[in-house]
Amino acid sequence: MTALALYRDDGPLARALGREAEPVLPLPAAALIVGGLAPLLVVAVVRGGEVSYAGAGVVLAWLLLTAGASAGAPDSARTGWLTPPLMRAAEYSALIWIAAVHGASAYPGAFAVIAALTFRHYDLVYRRRRADRAGTLALGWDGRLVLGYLLLVAGALPAGFYFMAIVLGAVFVADAVHGLGDDG
Amino acid sequence: MTSGLSETRAVDADVTLPAARPAAPTAVVLATARADDGRPAALLPFGGGTVLGHLTGQLGPVVVLARPEFEADVRRAAGPAADVRASASPADDLRAIAAAARAAGGDLLVLHGDIVTHAEALGWLLAGPRSGALTGGPGRAEFPVQARRDRLTSASSAYHGVGRPNATFLGVLRTAPDDLGTLADVAERLARLVEDPPAAWRSELARKGERMASDVDDDHADPEGAEADRPGPADPDDVAALLLVGLVRAGVPVAPVFLRRLLWDRPLSPAEAAAAAERIEATDVDRLRLDSSVKAIDGFFTTFLVTPYSKHLARWAARRGLTPDQVTIASLAIGVLAAAAFATGERWGLVAGAVLLLASFVTDCVDGQLARYTGTFSRLGGWLDAMFDRAKEYLAFAGLAIGAGDVWLLACAAITLQTVRHAADFAFAAAQDEAAPPPPVEDPLDGAARPPRMLAAWRRFDAWAPLRWGKRMIAFPIGERFAVIALTAAAFTPRVTFVVLLAWGGVALAYSQAGRVLRSLR
Repeated sequence: MTALALYRDDGPLARALGREAEPVLPLPAAALIVGGLAPLLVVAVVRGGEVSYAGAGVVLAWLLLTAGASAGAPDSARTGWLTPPLMRAAEYSALIWIAAVHGASAYPGAFAVIAALTFRHYDLVYRRRRADRAGTLALGWDGRLVLGYLLLVAGALPAGFYFMAIVLGAVFVADAVHGLGDDG
Repeated sequence: MTSGLSETRAVDADVTLPAARPAAPTAVVLATARADDGRPAALLPFGGGTVLGHLTGQLGPVVVLARPEFEADVRRAAGPAADVRASASPADDLRAIAAAARAAGGDLLVLHGDIVTHAEALGWLLAGPRSGALTGGPGRAEFPVQARRDRLTSASSAYHGVGRPNATFLGVLRTAPDDLGTLADVAERLARLVEDPPAAWRSELARKGERMASDVDDDHADPEGAEADRPGPADPDDVAALLLVGLVRAGVPVAPVFLRRLLWDRPLSPAEAAAAAERIEATDVDRLRLDSSVKAIDGFFTTFLVTPYSKHLARWAARRGLTPDQVTIASLAIGVLAAAAFATGERWGLVAGAVLLLASFVTDCVDGQLARYTGTFSRLGGWLDAMFDRAKEYLAFAGLAIGAGDVWLLACAAITLQTVRHAADFAFAAAQDEAAPPPPVEDPLDGAARPPRMLAAWRRFDAWAPLRWGKRMIAFPIGERFAVIALTAAAFTPRVTFVVLLAWGGVALAYSQAGRVLRSLR
């Protein structure tokens, strides 16, 4: 896996979407992610968190589909470096917006989830060779967005975000400690 | 650009496992370069002995290559322990180096026998896990190279050009055990090529000769020009430079190991050798090591408001026997205290948190300087340092948001913006590293060797010091961020802190990414 593909932090869902979309994709990955994130940002600016769960689901599903499909976009030599930062912008923005749909009381939880995720996303870079280990348990950005939306719909916010942050943080730190131990 | 700053660098690249150090490195010393009088420069007098004797005294087992007519003289100068061999030509030098590379068990050094420098410089070169080349600033020596972050992306020899160089090769090449096979292959291939240089090589050599001639004319037109210390003409017999080009073109990651403040010279006459000896004698090596422990490129805040005194803290820590990792952990502990103080939300807490956060940042600078000063690097240390930097910053965000209560959305935005900025830096660096492989050594020019596009006037403006510092400040490096957090929290409210972080960080994102996007699309 190239470094750029690793930094995307795709989960099984995004990888499957990418495989399906690969033969028919007309656009570079960066454009797909921007197109996927744009409706979410527009709705967030215009309506804030004032949308129904169903409406939120549509907006998030669009992001999941387009950004997921971008996993199959051919590596562009010139603009390929844009995909990892755009992926992070999309994932973190979506988590913050899920919190906004619930209400301001979910923001601290969203911060906790993002802080846990930053640990993984920096570690992916700093320890590139063995960073895949926690891959499945980390769910990928796609799995985490689905989980966040399910927590929202199930009325489990904000506690669900704290739980998610603790579990993800524990998985990442355990993996890092394990990996560093191996390295000697 | 922030890419020169440590926070945007993958840690793997410049750390090592001290336990993995094998037996003393083998050195191949080239006593072939001529002084002004036509004899080997390595035989110039130096402190009662010769330059060569001084150098071999700083090395372990050595193989010395000398031209046959000087073999006896070189043998006398090199001392009884040295294995002196006659080598009639650069091609024979390269074959001898290939043989040494195939026989070596540990690291292999290839260096010129007429180099005068400190043992510390050679020690630094051997400290990392990877192959490396001793490098100095632009104009320091005859062969310019291009260094990007922690690897050489392009190197030059008499037959090879380099575009947009930012450093020079100082004639000491260290090949790590993993790369010895490649070095041997490269040396054998170069040996065949130098015996009968291809036409492209010869025209590059001729081009260099013409440029020298026209430069000399310029000097006559402007005798007070800043080019007085221009290095000599490119020597086609310089096999160290050829080997460096060969390794870089073979895709071997060769780290630039900067001389920093240490002395280095290749004297050409007895007078120059005496001057070099005098300067080396008069040097306070500890002082130079301390000054050299400061990172070469850093932000404005760090350079002017932290390192002037943090390096003395580093020396103090070294004398107390503290390790860099202990200092890193202490820095995190202070950062946690800072976040806790911020979380009180009281004015005294914000002021105390600001002071603690700055203390934590200074401590953080000390650990890297301590590692460079004492030459103790570890993989774990590099990882801890990088991860803890992020942890301290984001804990401070959390503390401020807990204290204020109503700024969590701003805190979420700030952590997202900062992580996206770093992600862009990392991804851009990774994309550059994975770009097209360099052309083979037969080709005198590589991808980096394009003629500069900038106008001379613009280049001078671009190098103008206030502008350089301004560009580094716009990029909002870590020192500036910690200073902003501390000062705005102490003087105003957490809301102001986050608004300033988002505004400055937003400008930094737009500034650096816009430039990269434009370059990517062209």
